Amino acid sequence: MYKKIPDEILLQVEKPARYVGREVNMVKKDLSEIDIRFAFCFPDVYEVGMSHLGLEILYFFLNRRNDTYCERVFAPWVDMEEKMRENNIPLFALETGDSIKKFDFVGFTLQYEMSYTNVLNMLDLAGISLFRKDRKEDDPIIICGGSCAYNPEPLADFVDVFYLGEGEVLYDDMLELYKKFKKEGRTKQEYLEALLDFDGLYMPQFYDAEYNEDGTIKSFTPNHPKARKVIKKVIVNDMDKVFFPEKQLVPFIEVVHDRVTLELFRGCIRGCRFCQAGFVYRPVREKRACTLLENTKKLMESTGHEEISLTSLSTSDFTGFEELACGLIDEYKEKQVNISLPSLRIDNFSLDLMQKVQEVRKSSLTFAAEAGTQRLRDVINKNLTEENILNGCKLAFDGGWEKVKLYFMLGLPTETEEDLKGIAHLSEKIVEKYFEIPKEKRPRPVAVNASASCFVPKPFTPFQWDAQDTYETFGEKALIVKNEIKRKQVRFTYHNTMMSSMEGVLARGDRKLSAMLYRAWELGCRFDGWTDLFDFNKWKQAFDDTGLSIAFYANRERSYDEILPWDHISVGVNKSFLINEREKALRSETTPNCRQKCSGCGAASFGGGICHEVQI
Amino acid sequence: MKYRFKMEKGEEIKFIGHLDLLVAFQRVLKRADIPIDYSKGFNPHQLVSFASPLGLGLTSKAEYGDFQLKEDLDAEEVRERMNKNMPDGLYISKLVKLKEGVKNTMTSLERADYEIYFPDYITPDDIKENLDAFLNQKEIVVMKKTKKSTKEADIREDIFSAEDISHDGKAVMKIYVSSGSTRNLKCDTFAEAFCKFINKPFEKYKFNYCRTQMYMKNENGDYVSLISGVEL
Ligand code: SF4
Repeated sequence: MYKKIPDEILLQVEKPARYVGREVNMVKKDLSEIDIRFAFCFPDVYEVGMSHLGLEILYFFLNRRNDTYCERVFAPWVDMEEKMRENNIPLFALETGDSIKKFDFVGFTLQYEMSYTNVLNMLDLAGISLFRKDRKEDDPIIICGGSCAYNPEPLADFVDVFYLGEGEVLYDDMLELYKKFKKEGRTKQEYLEALLDFDGLYMPQFYDAEYNEDGTIKSFTPNHPKARKVIKKVIVNDMDKVFFPEKQLVPFIEVVHDRVTLELFRGCIRGCRFCQAGFVYRPVREKRACTLLENTKKLMESTGHEEISLTSLSTSDFTGFEELACGLIDEYKEKQVNISLPSLRIDNFSLDLMQKVQEVRKSSLTFAAEAGTQRLRDVINKNLTEENILNGCKLAFDGGWEKVKLYFMLGLPTETEEDLKGIAHLSEKIVEKYFEIPKEKRPRPVAVNASASCFVPKPFTPFQWDAQDTYETFGEKALIVKNEIKRKQVRFTYHNTMMSSMEGVLARGDRKLSAMLYRAWELGCRFDGWTDLFDFNKWKQAFDDTGLSIAFYANRERSYDEILPWDHISVGVNKSFLINEREKALRSETTPNCRQKCSGCGAASFGGGICHEVQI
Repeated sequence: MKYRFKMEKGEEIKFIGHLDLLVAFQRVLKRADIPIDYSKGFNPHQLVSFASPLGLGLTSKAEYGDFQLKEDLDAEEVRERMNKNMPDGLYISKLVKLKEGVKNTMTSLERADYEIYFPDYITPDDIKENLDAFLNQKEIVVMKKTKKSTKEADIREDIFSAEDISHDGKAVMKIYVSSGSTRNLKCDTFAEAFCKFINKPFEKYKFNYCRTQMYMKNENGDYVSLISGVEL
């Protein structure tokens, strides 16, 4: 029987269930029938990783192959790491408890930049050399995917392969090839060279970077005849035919999202200019509502979950939304199943729906306003007017809601003091809206929670050239907002400014940052996305020790002709489109969404999705 | 229709705490498509209750509880369907329909048996030589922790008896102690008291425990298992 971690250790750590696996629907396999062992690593704690839909999909996708065993690995929490190091327990996979050091592949999903030190720490805990150059033939192939892989350069020195795009496309061919090479006794290096035939895979070792004196990139060139100049992401075109797992893992302990998750579509039609997901996942490809209803039935039967969540970037944009929502209510309302509807646009229909499926008392209304004035919302192409928000609130207040959450960003390009104060004003107008309804109809006090994140310019967005504010400026800006708020019903909070600064560095970093990341890890950085564990001083020291500058990466505006560290990667959206979008942003001009009108971003080249649907 | 179950909790799932176990149990019922009844009111919940929470890290041969179904289904069929949908380590060994008027397991519970598996630094001889003397004490005073304070308590009365069941060179003891809402003795409190008595340290993370039975009093005043004599 599986039993690798001594009870004595598990009894001394917080939430031992994080480390024992055995969840319902966990895949079990006979190792003697397995050719390929794949460790799927999520560089954060169990509860976070287990809420990630991508993990579920890839886990069951890889495990549908008889020759492959994909097992899960999460970052042990600090208490467990201490025990593991003390007792020489190497990082292990949950399914078998085996050390992952001898696995064929060790894959990481990169969902946020602040998890990079956890990637390094997990490799170290596994007993695998961090730097690619130090690894040997019998070490696993380190492969990374996920949204942050689109700018892979900060991790370039550590990783063998970056997978750009959706997992369902290449893994089968890659694994077949691996099996063949392994049987024929060929080397890992030969295999990596063979992978150059695949578009969508980036192997940093086959490229060299040269730098100008000011630190910018002078040239970035392939050093292998087969290496492509530009590597383009790979995507699934037909979402109704793509592999869909009929099971989901059912964790024993409460995780961040404890529910059946339905993916309605990939991509987003909106094109908000700050949003990386809105560009890197283009084009929109929907599933049909009937496919989704079938999927749901199977998932509910196999998990016994009590909640279904519809997740996609902007759920309301789903063309089959009404059909799906009504279908779900018909099927599950009587069965005590809760339906959660994040990222809905607020209108009569959605409010009606929310009242049907959720407990009014519990839920609060959410608006991602992002900016305080219409001018700035136009700059970022956020298709939401003050009128939309206030009308939505009015409807909701009439319907019995009294809690409103607003999301904003500080430090957007072209932002002025007026825009900052606008955050306060908009929040207060919502409070006033509440007082417009008759007194007897508002038994509870209204609460408006405005929270601001700090803008991080991201690769493949029209703002990829822009300077990010320094953390000091973020702090000052937050104060301007705070001081402008007069009403006690409005609560304002903002994100850790220093963490946002580091995120800004890593998001647009180049290869030189590998050394800095290594140093940060050496200094003890990990779980940097956790406010109480993030230690800015260590990061500053890591920069000093490696002779690099935060300002160079975060706070510097780039010119259009500078070679960007991710220029050799294509997400299908043309640079000329991004430049055009940025120019329009500076003129506060908006761009219609893909469903209204195609703006010719370039993503039509994939040959599927909304770009090729008949426009009505 | 109300049912009472007896369930085993094994090694595989012993690190799942009581509240998480409840959720897992509810999901078993859902997956097995068993028509569980819900409480009325604003926040309906499944009508399932357990006799007594089992501490994290403990296994059990006899966890008890009740649940209520909307329909009158054959107990054996329900048991089979549940077992087919159980996570590793959970197994319903017995399931019966409940007679009218039986108090729930939580209020009925009065006594429980545990096995204590001692770590290697305590030998079978330690037990053999000291158990009688330990039990012959007039009082056994321990420090009992409550939420607010630690205070002295005499646990002698909570111990019905204890047996040396060491085997294969391992020190193992079976204890019979009070359990439930009026009087309750935790097995690790017993183990700690015994260690103190024999002048050995109590390295609490090295101990293993298994709950082996839970009792109530029947109308004759005898202790019987929570599932005996309650069947419809
Ligand atoms: S090509 Fe047109 S429709 Fe397709 S993603 Fe780009 S803008 Fe949208």
